[in-house]
Amino acid sequence: MTETEGKADPPAVMIEPIDISKLDPNFREGIRSMPNGEELSACFACSTCTAACPIANTWKYKPHQLIRMILLGMREEVLSSEEIWLCLTCFECQERCPQNVRVTDIFFDCKNLAAEEGMIPDSIVGLAKELVDKGQLYVVTADWEREDMDLEPEVPGLSTEEFKAILKGTRTGRIVGGDE
Amino acid sequence: MPSYSLYMGCSVPANYPNYETTLFRVAEKFDIELNYMEGVSCCGSPNLRAIDYMGWLIVNARTLAIAEKNGHDIVTPCNGCFGTLKDVYHFLTHNADYRNKVNVELKKTGLEFKGTIKPRHFIEALYNDIGIDEIKKKITKPLDGVGIAIHYGCHLLRPKDVTEFKPEIFEDLIRVTGASVIEYPLWKQCCGATVLPVNEDLAIRLARDKLKSMKEAGAVFVTVSCPACGNQLDLQQLGLKESYGEEYNLPVLFITQILGLAMGMGDDEVGLEMNRVPADPILKHLSG
Repeated sequence: MTETEGKADPPAVMIEPIDISKLDPNFREGIRSMPNGEELSACFACSTCTAACPIANTWKYKPHQLIRMILLGMREEVLSSEEIWLCLTCFECQERCPQNVRVTDIFFDCKNLAAEEGMIPDSIVGLAKELVDKGQLYVVTADWEREDMDLEPEVPGLSTEEFKAILKGTRTGRIVGGDE
Repeated sequence: MPSYSLYMGCSVPANYPNYETTLFRVAEKFDIELNYMEGVSCCGSPNLRAIDYMGWLIVNARTLAIAEKNGHDIVTPCNGCFGTLKDVYHFLTHNADYRNKVNVELKKTGLEFKGTIKPRHFIEALYNDIGIDEIKKKITKPLDGVGIAIHYGCHLLRPKDVTEFKPEIFEDLIRVTGASVIEYPLWKQCCGATVLPVNEDLAIRLARDKLKSMKEAGAVFVTVSCPACGNQLDLQQLGLKESYGEEYNLPVLFITQILGLAMGMGDDEVGLEMNRVPADPILKHLSG
């Protein structure tokens, strides 16, 4: 590499500047109060979670950055990020965190907050509809295959009514209802 | 004779009757009684947990509460159901506020979650309650020399403090058939099934990483304990032919199919024709 004469170009912007006026100081406490969010602020940004993640190389915001963004109060960016929905929920990050931050669980918390605000990928809304309409994700269609295997054509004991009734009364019902 | 509440979930009965039937056939060999749970449905999967934590807690606490009434531990053949039930069990036994909230809802139908029975994966119950020595006695057609790669599945192994599952269980269950367990670098990694609804290309890439790692380590076939992982690793091999021009020819068998074969069951009894990647290598071995 040859040295260039004269003025150097301005340094490339590594990260977008953070607009402090847009930060939500309550976001961190909000997540900390959600299921398994307690250890959030123990994160010291070592990025072990990112090293453990099998797909972080395809993410704009890496797992350790998302945790840092939560701590900073970047609510809008985190809740509208596609990364939280791409999370495999494989728990590799959480398992390896030296500070016991429950990273995967915290991404579940983020998804719940995003869902409360109606920010859910269409495919997941579709799955929610299936759950409320059919009471299960997969329904037996090829009952002859079951009979071939000496099983009852219908699954013994299966009852979807209570399941549907519960979800109609919780957020799933609002997500599905609000979309119609 | 050990007796369990059997929680089937939705995927095994709808997609993999070969897994369901071999579960019963293997259980029968050890006089294990499996009773389908009454009045239950799906666990909702991680997708429900993602959008509706409270709804996810209630439906699964309800399943646990029904099993408590029956008094027998729950067993399930699905890693997804196992992970969900274990997670809900762990959370509610460690969090009184949520337990109370959930019980307010369950009380409406006369149920209560107390945390008195444990959800378990079928293979863990088989391993701990029957034991390797007893299982060994039933092996009549040993799979000597066949190299099997185990895909454990994320929700069987992690989070470790929640699932409490030891990988050695799976390994010992394979070794007892006489087969050898193939170690491969990506043994802990995800199959990609969970990301299928939001990004298919990524899901295919993950299945490829996994299959490649197994194949390169010398696996002849693969075993799983989950319908979602099984589907992903089996089905995507067809997709990989198209998208990457690669052929892996790695049959993907459920653990109970392998145990069944090693216990002398025929290929029709274990439903091998339902496996998409033909299981020729194992059949050849057994007939040879």
